[in-house]
Amino acid sequence: MIWLGWLVAAFVAAPLLVVVPMSFSTAVSLEFPPPGWGLRYYHAYFADPRWTQPTINSLLVASCVAALTMLLVTPASFALVRHRFGGKGMVNLLLMLPMAVPHIVIAIGYYAFLADIGLLQSFAGLVLAHTVLSIPVAFLVLTASLKGFDRTLERAAMSLGAAPWRAFLHVTLPVLWPGFAAAGLFAFVASFDETVVAIFISGANTETLPRRMFDSIRMQADPVIAVASTLLFGLVALLALAAMLRRRAGGRR
Amino acid sequence: MTAHLAIAGLSKSYDGKVLALDQVSLSVRRGEFVTFLGPSGSGKTTTLMVIAGFEAPDAGSVTLEGRSMAGVPPHRRGIGVVFQNYALFPHRTALQNVMFPLLMRSAPKPVALRKAREMLDLVGLAALGDRHPRELSGGQQQRVALARALVFDPALLLLDEPLGALDKNLREQMQLEIKRIQRATHVTTVFVTHDQSEAMALSDRIVVFEGGRIQQDAAPLDVYLRPRSGFVARFVGDSNLFPAEVLDGAAGLVDAAGLGRVQVPPGSAATGAATLLLRPEALVPAGDGTPNRLVLRVEDVVQFGDSALLIGQVGGVALRARLGGRQAQGITAGMDVALGWPPEAAHLIPPE
Repeated sequence: MIWLGWLVAAFVAAPLLVVVPMSFSTAVSLEFPPPGWGLRYYHAYFADPRWTQPTINSLLVASCVAALTMLLVTPASFALVRHRFGGKGMVNLLLMLPMAVPHIVIAIGYYAFLADIGLLQSFAGLVLAHTVLSIPVAFLVLTASLKGFDRTLERAAMSLGAAPWRAFLHVTLPVLWPGFAAAGLFAFVASFDETVVAIFISGANTETLPRRMFDSIRMQADPVIAVASTLLFGLVALLALAAMLRRRAGGRR
Repeated sequence: MTAHLAIAGLSKSYDGKVLALDQVSLSVRRGEFVTFLGPSGSGKTTTLMVIAGFEAPDAGSVTLEGRSMAGVPPHRRGIGVVFQNYALFPHRTALQNVMFPLLMRSAPKPVALRKAREMLDLVGLAALGDRHPRELSGGQQQRVALARALVFDPALLLLDEPLGALDKNLREQMQLEIKRIQRATHVTTVFVTHDQSEAMALSDRIVVFEGGRIQQDAAPLDVYLRPRSGFVARFVGDSNLFPAEVLDGAAGLVDAAGLGRVQVPPGSAATGAATLLLRPEALVPAGDGTPNRLVLRVEDVVQFGDSALLIGQVGGVALRARLGGRQAQGITAGMDVALGWPPEAAHLIPPE
């Protein structure tokens, strides 16, 4: 059974095992296994604004998406976890909808809609569309941590003299902080590696990294794309690792 | 108006059908330690939550220090609460937990720090102020929760089954601690529990709840010796209850099922139907002068060392008798044992 587990893990990790070595290759085009090792494609990547600009764009968009998502998902999660109201099931369903609808459908919808309101190929339009896709992910993470929150902590705070908003600020928020961080992280990552919607609605000035990669591989098999892939993976892995280490540190305390 | 806390006619229903509280009225004097005792769902915790302001009653009033609590939110009531699971803030150290109520009252930080340290010292945790709750044992967390609820000099301290999660030895130790700390601070205390021995050990007064109503409100020994209902007699302590007929109230002559004619103190009950309560430890080996006698057919003997419980039958009715360890020596299952009790050791419960 254990070897089967390793086999599945290897299967899942296989693309990485190909892409990461290729980024350190000396080959002229994408080639595996690499004929020799070097950093020339990393130099090429960081020297070329056609790669660095999309990277910066992606980081900017993902940051704004994470912020906007949390701004919307936080009150929604509190309302849905803590209160009963008419149509609650419907609201729950609608919030999760972007996860079920194919990205291509959402992309086409936004393509038409953003064109109408003049936000096509704009930074704001992309942030808006990505936020919609990030909401279900952040919502799932946040409601899970909210459901595990012991509300007697808030009662205790109030009995000790904290008005409800101070109880929220001094107790609820700090205790739920890892949940908020995780939800924000997931929202960030969901936007950072999103490709389909970005292809449809990001413009020349707002081109994101995944879109640039897609365009690049369509034009030529430029090995710099392996660098972009490695960096993309590296960032996401780093964020996940940070979250994991934080949790472990929290558990030990 | 000497009542420190006065509750009048509290009623509450969660579903509009079953009354969680039904006309609950009681008062607590300054400095008194009162225990709400009852099974789960009896209304004791609901009453506590109404006092704390977390539940609104459908009817009735709560008055603390002469001030009506109607419409006063929990954070303005100045009531310290210790919750069943302690509800310590996990992201704050023990000291920071205890400082919290002082900081919420805008106390300057040095003052809050000094007071919190003093309070931790009082509960015996001076050395552990820097620990987080998860680094403390159950008993230590309990002490922090107590210190946190007391540090701001609350008008009232509410304890909601605070010892429920602790093991037996620790529970008895914490009972003494709570009593000691309550005496040291003179804080008026309402303690909720379903454990009758805890209630007996701690309280100046016990209020017995059942089905959303107060069954009895009296001193612990009164509740034990003179329960007002069969429920109270059964819930507080071990009991033998016999359906009985008071033949002559003035003379104290009673006919009890299984026991026959027995003598109770003259004038202790009105003539008519009643229930006779005989606590197991009221029975002693019968001597020549014992006015009330019975012969117990012993079916089982449970040894405790310091005492022994005899379980058996008398006249076809089950009976339990608790004798001292030495008195019970030599008694085994299958024996017939002559037992008796003085008239004043029995209690007659009027019909409900």
